[in-house]
Amino acid sequence: MADYKELWKSLDIDLEKHDELCEVLPEFYGDIYMTQKNRPEGMNYYNFVVSEIHGFRIKELNEFRGKGGKVFGGFCVFVPDEVTLAAGGVGIGLCGGSDFWVPDGEKVLPRNMCPLIKASVGAKIGGTCPYFQSADMLVGETTCDGKKKAWEILGEYTPIHVMDLPQMKREKDIENFKDEINIFREKVESITGNKVTAENLKENIKLVNKKRKVLQRLYNARKVQNLPISGKDALLISQIAFYDDIERFIEKTNELCDELEARIEKNISVFDEDTPRILITGTPMAIPNWKMHHLIETSGGAVVCEETCTGTKYFERFVDEDNDDLDSQLKALSERYMGINCACFSPNEGRIKDIIRLYKEYNADGVVYNSLPFCHTYAVEYKKVKDALDKEGIPVMMIESDYSMQDAGQIKTRLEAFFEMLNMNKELAL
Amino acid sequence: MIFNTYVLFPSHSDGLALEKKLKEKSMKYTISPTPRNLSKCCGISIMIDPKILEDVKSIIEENKDIKISGIHTIERKTRNWFKEEDKYV
Repeated sequence: MADYKELWKSLDIDLEKHDELCEVLPEFYGDIYMTQKNRPEGMNYYNFVVSEIHGFRIKELNEFRGKGGKVFGGFCVFVPDEVTLAAGGVGIGLCGGSDFWVPDGEKVLPRNMCPLIKASVGAKIGGTCPYFQSADMLVGETTCDGKKKAWEILGEYTPIHVMDLPQMKREKDIENFKDEINIFREKVESITGNKVTAENLKENIKLVNKKRKVLQRLYNARKVQNLPISGKDALLISQIAFYDDIERFIEKTNELCDELEARIEKNISVFDEDTPRILITGTPMAIPNWKMHHLIETSGGAVVCEETCTGTKYFERFVDEDNDDLDSQLKALSERYMGINCACFSPNEGRIKDIIRLYKEYNADGVVYNSLPFCHTYAVEYKKVKDALDKEGIPVMMIESDYSMQDAGQIKTRLEAFFEMLNMNKELAL
Repeated sequence: MIFNTYVLFPSHSDGLALEKKLKEKSMKYTISPTPRNLSKCCGISIMIDPKILEDVKSIIEENKDIKISGIHTIERKTRNWFKEEDKYV
């Protein structure tokens, strides 16, 4: 296979340590993903992306940077890719979904904090993530206290720009975030040396909307009774959307959707009929965090939708494309992004409405509320969500879990009991 | 025991070129991460059913521009990752 060692060396990767990661990833992916039966053929593209996760795409970014291009690494769905793209930059999502990086993170962070933050910081300071190494600038936001303070540490390693995300959704907050997007625009312009104009911003608003549309198309295929694709595969596609080349991603995902829609016509499903349909809601799942989907789909359930940042929060609702001046475009961007119902907002009634709506749209039978440990906003919000779902008669269970394997058996037992109850509900309803 | 055959390539572009040919001939294949015991360089390989190996070999023969760096048939082993003894990932 292609030798990427020289490339990694030039990016200052800790080759020895990185090799440990390379050692487990192929087998891990093989066992979790390639053992699934009757996968759509279009998944071959995503197999390719994962197989080459630290190779092909990194090489592409390296070539882009060689020509003077700038790469912006983000952690969150609030960073507006439209602006980065309009200035000729590329935005990528960063690593943070594996236990592998946690020990390095714990060298500089307290142990009792969210694994996503520990893993992200660990990936950077351990020098084992080529995406971090390819970023000319990191873009943080103030979605939680842990991240807010972690940026200060990451800033010692790479230049970082932090966007101040308002924590409420009043008119003045939307106005404030518009200002933040404008400050981000100035920052991106100064790094890339390119101007963001109303013309190129309009073009890129359309482009990013196109990506949202194809993800919505993918998710629409999961609303039908006979599921043409597993939840695990759909999650992978959402995760890849964060760092793949946008044009290629749109093209390949549309091709896959053609296949899925043909499967729907022919009633081809990857699950048995009557498999309980699960809506997942909660914290983001960064690559290679496939734990909850894997446990659900090997315990007799099927994930039909994710109300998460690596799910509907990423692509639902479009930015208004009909603005021709920068000021109105920034306003439209702020309105779209501030419409995301992240648990960092208070109050956050919109998320409850989303969960109930998605439960119905995707014909779910139950909800799994999944939270990473020490994520206060999502953990606290469970109470409000549960109360509302109880009122609607929607079954829900809360699972708090990190990236480690220790609790898998326990979670499986709980899931099996939950699915048994959902099946009983269905029988009683008949 | 289940066996899988892996075709390895010197670069991903050769892999994608063979994929195109297999697709044209409607042959069943899966793009796969290269198993670590076959090569230490992270990257793609093409996994096929050993039963169609001869057909795939003749496609490779016919297309001299597609370079491969080996064909290996190995037993498929899976392990349960979500158990206590597994430390990473």
